[in-house]
Amino acid sequence: MRSEALIEASGLAVGYDGEAAISAVDFSLAPGERMALLGPNGGGKTTLLRALLGELRPLAGQLRVGARCATVPQTERSQLDYPVSALDVAAMGALSRLPWWRRPGRRERAVASEALHKVGLGDLAQETFGKLSGGQRQRVLIARSLVQDAQILLLDEPFSGLDRPSSEGLEALVDSLAAERRGVMIATHDLEQARRWDSVLCLNRTQVAAGPPEEVLDLAVLEATYGGAIVELPGSDSRAILPPHHH
Amino acid sequence: MLEPFQLPFVQRGLIEVLLLAVPAGLLGTWIVLRGLAFFSHAVGTATFPGLVLADGLGFAAPLGAFGAAVAFSTGATALRGRRSGQDAVVALVLVACLAAGVILASDVFGSGANVETLLFGSLLLVDRADLLLAAAAAAATLLANLLIGQHWLRAGFDPTLAGSTGPSQRIFDAVLLGLVALATVAALTVVGALLVAALFVVPAITARLLTERLLSWQLLSVGLVALEGTVGLWLSVKTNAPPGATIACVAGATFALVAMVRGLAGGVAVA
Repeated sequence: MRSEALIEASGLAVGYDGEAAISAVDFSLAPGERMALLGPNGGGKTTLLRALLGELRPLAGQLRVGARCATVPQTERSQLDYPVSALDVAAMGALSRLPWWRRPGRRERAVASEALHKVGLGDLAQETFGKLSGGQRQRVLIARSLVQDAQILLLDEPFSGLDRPSSEGLEALVDSLAAERRGVMIATHDLEQARRWDSVLCLNRTQVAAGPPEEVLDLAVLEATYGGAIVELPGSDSRAILPPHHH
Repeated sequence: MLEPFQLPFVQRGLIEVLLLAVPAGLLGTWIVLRGLAFFSHAVGTATFPGLVLADGLGFAAPLGAFGAAVAFSTGATALRGRRSGQDAVVALVLVACLAAGVILASDVFGSGANVETLLFGSLLLVDRADLLLAAAAAAATLLANLLIGQHWLRAGFDPTLAGSTGPSQRIFDAVLLGLVALATVAALTVVGALLVAALFVVPAITARLLTERLLSWQLLSVGLVALEGTVGLWLSVKTNAPPGATIACVAGATFALVAMVRGLAGGVAVA
């Protein structure tokens, strides 16, 4: 299993200006694996994603990324006013594989259109990106990473602000991407969701734990990951993590 | 009514404005999308000391202006890496350039009445070299828009996307800033150092109110610059006001009108 891993990190430290923002990170991501990336804001999730994308070099340890990696970021406010259609955004995924002077042509747009169909947005290809719902925008950005032909998808809190049906639809899409043997890493604050996936990686400036959720996610790990931000929900066995602005 | 356009110097001015419509309209859309509106205003103003130097020492004005524009762009880009905010750095360099220009004009060269021309433009000064420069800026912008516009679009949409942060993207962005500097220098004679933004930014923002796609936005922006430039020139001759100021007034009034109509029709969105 390990030899065919899409990502392998051992003793990894990454940071800025020579100072480590995360350290001692050891994990691997296999094809078809859905991994939840848990941690507080400022805990190093984005730093790790940037390292996986090759934007930051390891300060220590080893990092091997064995397949094309694409990121699915959160929608920025400025993007809502952008004069592009869903198809235009999906087609941007082709740019990294084209010579610098080439625009996405008919062939690339056909691939982009196919990717939009795959994420269930075939009918909205010509809609302005900013007019789509939050869940639909996440799907467009996933379609863009499919056009990039990425085998590893890095989703940065894709469920933030989504209503329940959109969230469930997006989760089903994540499942189908994993079924195609793509590795999917999802930064999230939703513990219940993380329990449904194959593995979790808990970060709080250093790696707290990594492994299958049923083995890893106990109270001690969660407290080390989130500090005192965990509350027991009254009248149930569930625990909730307070969003950072409630601190 | 159209008799001003029979005058040779107005005809040259008109050709100049129509040529400038291509770089101003195209670059205007990128300036708005990439958040460079203040930068483009500042790069125009930054040419002022270069123009004063050229006027005082007697060398070609575009050379002085382009030198100052490049120095400004390089300085602003170099300082941008530090902790100060991007706008704060641009404002800092802008003030320094304006102050240097005023001191050079008043105390070193005694430029006097020329200062108004340098700041607000003059139709009388448009010559063949200006037309050639405007044509060169138009051709270069058109070519870059076709070849690397897709990279400007992607980087503006998603600055963190892999590929948007690599070395080649830095080159594409430098080309964009260089073209803004070149087109600004080409537009200086007609609109002057202070009002260059009237040609680059205002028509693009106005056109954005009317369209949701890049291609139609760019075509509309080019058309608006041509139209507002022509009307502004006509008004400039009729009122004997500097062309930069009349073009700015026409562009501003058009924006206000379109925004009002759009507002009444429901919803205004500016990128």
